Amino acid sequence: MSKQHWQSFGELNNSDAYKQSVNDEFQEQLPFEADDKGFLEAKHPRRDFLKFLGFSTAAATIAASCEIPFTKAIPFANKPEDIVPGNYMYYATTYVQDGDAVSVLAKVRDGRPIKIEGNDLSPITKGGTSARVQASVLDLYDTARLRFPTIDGNEATFEDVDKAVAAGIAGLGSAPIVILTSTVVSPSTKEVIAQFIAKHPGAKHVVYDAVSYSGILLANEATYGKKAIPTYRFDNAKVIVSLAADFLGTWLSPIEFAKQYATGKKIDEKNPEMSKHIHFESVASLTGSNADERFLHRPSETGAIAVALLAAVNGQAVTGIDDAKLKAGIEKAAKELVAKKGQALVVSGSNDKNVQIIINAINEALQAGGKTIDWSATYNTKAGIDSDFAKLVDDMNAGSVGGLLIFGANPAYTWFDSKKFVDGLKKVKLTVSFSGKADETTQLVKFVIPSNHYLESWGDAEIKTGYYSLQQPTIYPLFKTRQWQDSLLSWSGATGSYLDFLKQYWSAKVGGASGWDKALQEGVINPSTIAAAAASFNSSSVAGATSAIASYKKAAPNSTELYLYQKVAIGAGEGTANPWLQEMPDPVTKATWDNYLIVSPAKAKTLLNIDLTNNGQADAYEVKPPKHVVSITANGVTVKLPTLIIPGTHPDTVGIALGYGRAKELGKSVFDEEAGISVGANAFPFASLADGTVSFSIASVDLKDTGDKFPVALTQTHNIYNTAQGNRTEVMKELTLAEFKAKPTEILEDREAEVKPYGGLENYRALGTIYPDSMNDRPGIKWGMSVDLNTCNGCGACVVACTAENNVAIVGKPEVLRGHEMQWLRIDRYYSGSDLDNPKVVFQPLMCQHCDNAPCENVCPVAATNHSSEGLNQMTYNRCIGTRYCANNCPYKVRRFNWADYTGADSFPDNQKGIVNDVVLNMNDDLTRMVLNPDVTVRSRGVIEKCSFCVQRLQSAKLSAKKESRPLEDSDIKVACQQACPTNAIIFGNANDKKSNITTIRKDNPNRLFLSLEQLHVLPNVTYLAKVRNIEEEKKEA
Amino acid sequence: MHLKYESQLREPLVSGNKNYHQVTEDIIRPIEAKPSKLWYVGFFTAVALLMFGVYSVYREVTYGIGQWNLNKTIGWGWDITNFVWWVGIGHAGTLISAVLLLFRQGWRTGVNRAAEAMTIFAVMCAGQFPIFHMGRVWMAFFVMPYPNSRGPLWVNFNSPLLWDVFAISTYFTVSLLFWYSGLLPDFASVRDRAKTKLRQKLYGTAAFGWSGSAKHWQRHESLSLVLAGLSTPLVLSVHTIVSFDFATSVIPGWHTTIFPPYFVAGAIFSGFAMVQSLLLIVRKVFALEDYITLGHIEAMNKVIVLTGSVVGIAYLTELFMGWYSQNKYEGYTFWYSRAYLFSPYGWSYWGMMACNVISPQIFWFRKMRRNIYVTFFMSIIVNIGMWFERFVIIVTSLYRDYLPSSWSVYYSPTIYEIGFYLGTFGLFFTCFFLFAKYFPVIAVAEIKFVLKTTGENYKEKMGHLEHVPAEVFAHSGHGHTVVENHGSN
Repeated sequence: MSKQHWQSFGELNNSDAYKQSVNDEFQEQLPFEADDKGFLEAKHPRRDFLKFLGFSTAAATIAASCEIPFTKAIPFANKPEDIVPGNYMYYATTYVQDGDAVSVLAKVRDGRPIKIEGNDLSPITKGGTSARVQASVLDLYDTARLRFPTIDGNEATFEDVDKAVAAGIAGLGSAPIVILTSTVVSPSTKEVIAQFIAKHPGAKHVVYDAVSYSGILLANEATYGKKAIPTYRFDNAKVIVSLAADFLGTWLSPIEFAKQYATGKKIDEKNPEMSKHIHFESVASLTGSNADERFLHRPSETGAIAVALLAAVNGQAVTGIDDAKLKAGIEKAAKELVAKKGQALVVSGSNDKNVQIIINAINEALQAGGKTIDWSATYNTKAGIDSDFAKLVDDMNAGSVGGLLIFGANPAYTWFDSKKFVDGLKKVKLTVSFSGKADETTQLVKFVIPSNHYLESWGDAEIKTGYYSLQQPTIYPLFKTRQWQDSLLSWSGATGSYLDFLKQYWSAKVGGASGWDKALQEGVINPSTIAAAAASFNSSSVAGATSAIASYKKAAPNSTELYLYQKVAIGAGEGTANPWLQEMPDPVTKATWDNYLIVSPAKAKTLLNIDLTNNGQADAYEVKPPKHVVSITANGVTVKLPTLIIPGTHPDTVGIALGYGRAKELGKSVFDEEAGISVGANAFPFASLADGTVSFSIASVDLKDTGDKFPVALTQTHNIYNTAQGNRTEVMKELTLAEFKAKPTEILEDREAEVKPYGGLENYRALGTIYPDSMNDRPGIKWGMSVDLNTCNGCGACVVACTAENNVAIVGKPEVLRGHEMQWLRIDRYYSGSDLDNPKVVFQPLMCQHCDNAPCENVCPVAATNHSSEGLNQMTYNRCIGTRYCANNCPYKVRRFNWADYTGADSFPDNQKGIVNDVVLNMNDDLTRMVLNPDVTVRSRGVIEKCSFCVQRLQSAKLSAKKESRPLEDSDIKVACQQACPTNAIIFGNANDKKSNITTIRKDNPNRLFLSLEQLHVLPNVTYLAKVRNIEEEKKEA
Repeated sequence: MHLKYESQLREPLVSGNKNYHQVTEDIIRPIEAKPSKLWYVGFFTAVALLMFGVYSVYREVTYGIGQWNLNKTIGWGWDITNFVWWVGIGHAGTLISAVLLLFRQGWRTGVNRAAEAMTIFAVMCAGQFPIFHMGRVWMAFFVMPYPNSRGPLWVNFNSPLLWDVFAISTYFTVSLLFWYSGLLPDFASVRDRAKTKLRQKLYGTAAFGWSGSAKHWQRHESLSLVLAGLSTPLVLSVHTIVSFDFATSVIPGWHTTIFPPYFVAGAIFSGFAMVQSLLLIVRKVFALEDYITLGHIEAMNKVIVLTGSVVGIAYLTELFMGWYSQNKYEGYTFWYSRAYLFSPYGWSYWGMMACNVISPQIFWFRKMRRNIYVTFFMSIIVNIGMWFERFVIIVTSLYRDYLPSSWSVYYSPTIYEIGFYLGTFGLFFTCFFLFAKYFPVIAVAEIKFVLKTTGENYKEKMGHLEHVPAEVFAHSGHGHTVVENHGSN
């Protein structure tokens, strides 16, 4: 290439002088020589040296300033009209997990769903959510999701799979195809299934629920002629008696029930009335913990109790109950029930058809039909009949099933005789799974066509008769997944997609495309008001059920029974793979990341030689995480589990949670890589089939202390606020309804006494300190929160909501064990009363109290935490140097320190392998990080963090009010915990606004209001409303 | 100068008939000789410990405070325990050098140099903990109030932790100056005796051109008094401020007005114990028994039994107040978390009681005070006890405070937490070994001051005067002569 232009003759001739001049300064070149010589040998070593020096100095400066390099966000080339980067949008959709369906809103930011909120328009949940619903968004970004269809484990395209399956179906001949699903709530999907069945003669649909409601369904069939579950109306019930139905935690429709239940627990101070809840159970549950009175029994006594209760309700004598306490309890329950006929409700968690028939008879005697039991709408969420599935397993083993298409069911894990199922599966020629993850069953099938996550799916749900909820995708499928309805449709020979099918299905019903759009936007289609209805009761089966129960074998007096239960967060295993749920402390045991054997304090004494009434032994049990490992043997199955002592458990009953001991393919949270074992142990094999339904109680187990210990990560180790040096009633205030009625000002007087030395309540704020009150008479906003301990049931939805909203780090079991959990909001659970084996339980959600005279603020040497003019106790992460002095000086211990780099946001990147658990590292995967809320700073190692009252939401609310030139209103703001709460126990708002809810609730409840640790004069902005129990016996407990 | 007559009843402060040259020889010879094998063993052990400490701190800085076993409830554990412990140890040095100087306690000369060195090294060790206990130590400069472009954003003057920053840095600066100014004449002596060029140059530089002129001495004396005056309040203020870290908080067990005097007494208590441990070794290894006599040891043991009893009273007062206040939170902390032997940390409280209050009572017996082995053993016991005291205050208060829901699992340190502590021992002894080898461990010039008034040879010379009746002595002119003679020295 010849030069066309030259500046001098020297350049033209390339003279020596010219060459020299090239080396002179100001001859601009690229900064670095492109040859591979070292820089000293380069053509211009001096200048390069200076460049290197300059560069490395600059680089060192940048590196030393510990800035984290940030990745630029690239704007849309063609911006969609309605999408503004940085603004979020809500899409109405439906959370569907097996049979459970909840109408929700997905908060989508920049194309990513990041948070789930309840849909206020749903008359069922009324905007409430549960921990599992809150955590479901994380499942979308689960790294263990299946990413493509497979044939025999090898990646395949949809076309290949479709072809191979079609060929497979063709080759089956007369052997029938079975579609095995968990309960299908979607009417359109039922249609799709019907089409498939029509296309494939002999095919059938079997519904299998891991924890089924067969007992109720069959009992209702026998007594009401309807194989359905009616709507329960806890809000209409003045007396609720539950026979181990955990209706606030896991039973049937907990969000709905929690909401209803809370209406009965809300107190009007001027006319204090409450519903009464009497609970009978064997192993402490969330619902039992909330009960006004709880009676303990052996699981084998359930039937006898039901029969006795029926007798008592009918005015007959209680027989067949040996335990005096229990007998008194039944008599009492009956008395209360009868007194409130028509406003009483009895429910039972038993899966025994006979027990449920008796329960129906009791409810009938109490005239519950049409009042507390409403037959106008029945649940579609639980339809599985255990015996149907048992028959399918038999058929499979007999070789009479040709093809098995599995969606939502995972019998290889959840069926008690999973070996038989697996053996049967081997005899099925064509096996297909539509599971989104490689669960235990999916691993055994030939074809795997992963289905979309619900946030990627179209769909609908008929939760109860006439109550519809629609599902729309909020993000394009992340992986090569396909909705299973699409597969079924294509195998049935339909041409359109499931979306077309769905649109067509609904357009007809809701009035064309515009009606469809509106329905989609609202997310729910509700029936016009339906009057509650009763169903006619057929008592013919009651006598049979009574005699059947009478024939049940009584437990030997010294035998120990086992009761398998579901955890609020984990369920039957749905939550095991979700780190948010695993790290959510179980409301009852406050344990994370494990299942364990629950024993009563009495059992602990005989089995483990731990006496909780002995201070030293109680201390040793509490402060040391390793717990005794006990081996549990029953039905030829042996499981070894650590033991937790949980009061509220029958002395001769032990409990194990279902849902653990999963296959490691489900993700990092189900498997401890280091130890090489699954998290927890699978308790399903203990279950058995009795009279056609699966029974989760085992009449006799052998327990043996192995002498080993295994650590259990508890977030709360001490549970009693009464000490030998005094009862710490400043922390927590509770009383009985009788006391409250007799003396409404008791709590007020308590408070008055606490602060009497400092001028009494009237002058406490001013006289409790020698300093001027900096927060006094601040104009503008003053944020405040109120938590009603009466309606809070401790379910934990707020804890997960807070985690999701505020990017709270997951730390994994080893860190929780060391007291390093990061949750900003915790629910303290205290036992009170004199009965150690069956104490009263109270839950207290505790977040930063945003004290006006905050002890954390004045001790920070660098003023990293300070007070806002709106009463917020603020945390400035990038000013924090991590002395932890504030955490020490916080009397509520709500401050959390970043002990390690949990978030991958550190100045020393990528050095945490081996320091933190794999689960934590996995939370920092690019995929998982998509769930992070961009409005909230991700905290780095070495700084303190804590509840901010969702300051990002407050700012955004203020901004939108400002943009619309109007004052801020209550409806503008909902903090994450408040929004998630199914019982509206949390009220938040501007306490300076005379019309706000927070002002109203404080003004309306002067006699129940208290501040935790008020006597310290830290002046919290969170107020509590004391717990009132509906117990008539005044002061009997004290 | 030292116009003073000392009774024969008093023990000589320097025994063994030394003259000035001998004193110089005895003290400076070890600097010029090759160190013994024992020194090498000790020194490298210390360096090894220091290296382990450096590694432990490296782990903590790179991987996070999670390398320690602190938790959501116990934000401070071994780190701040060790901080307070080391700061406390420093106090004896300052007390000996400053307060005893102002009170003209001649016996301080034998031990002040080493005690001051101990102060400085102890403060250096102490300083490591508040710095490296920070979650983001690379931002530690935020605690400095300097004009900045962040607003300007100032430090929080309300925070006792910030007061610590000033207290400790002032303390270190003043102690260092005091120590170094005292070293000047001795460095000059080493320089003047130097037989190698290098030594002459190094010590010459270190001596700042000290020539021993009257003007130098006059200024030196004045400076010593000024620095002593500055240091004296520090003896009280530094540990008072350290105690404010706890006293100004809301935590039961911390929120106590008794803390300042209690901490100061404890500091002096532990400091003297540490001085004992060190000097008993030094006097043995460097054969300085003539200068650090049993009299010195006994005097310090008296301080130990006094301050030990003071802290004992403080402990009992706290317990009493825990009951008398009828505050259930205080009551729980003092009567359950601490005083109940079978509570999780009961052992540490009773360990503290046994080491600090009960065992030092042995020093009421003169025989015990003058027994080197007992003294050495007790000095170690006291330091263990004082470590327990800080651990008790910090951990047993924090681990069970207001909300029973937050009560902590059992806290015990990780290897890196222990490593950090051991590392400061490494730092301390590395410095101390270097000091012992390269610095005159006893203030040569100051010993010479007291030699002629309280030395054994002086006492012998004066012996005959003891028999002269006072009346006669006053009129004979004897005393006059003697005093004048001495003064001209």
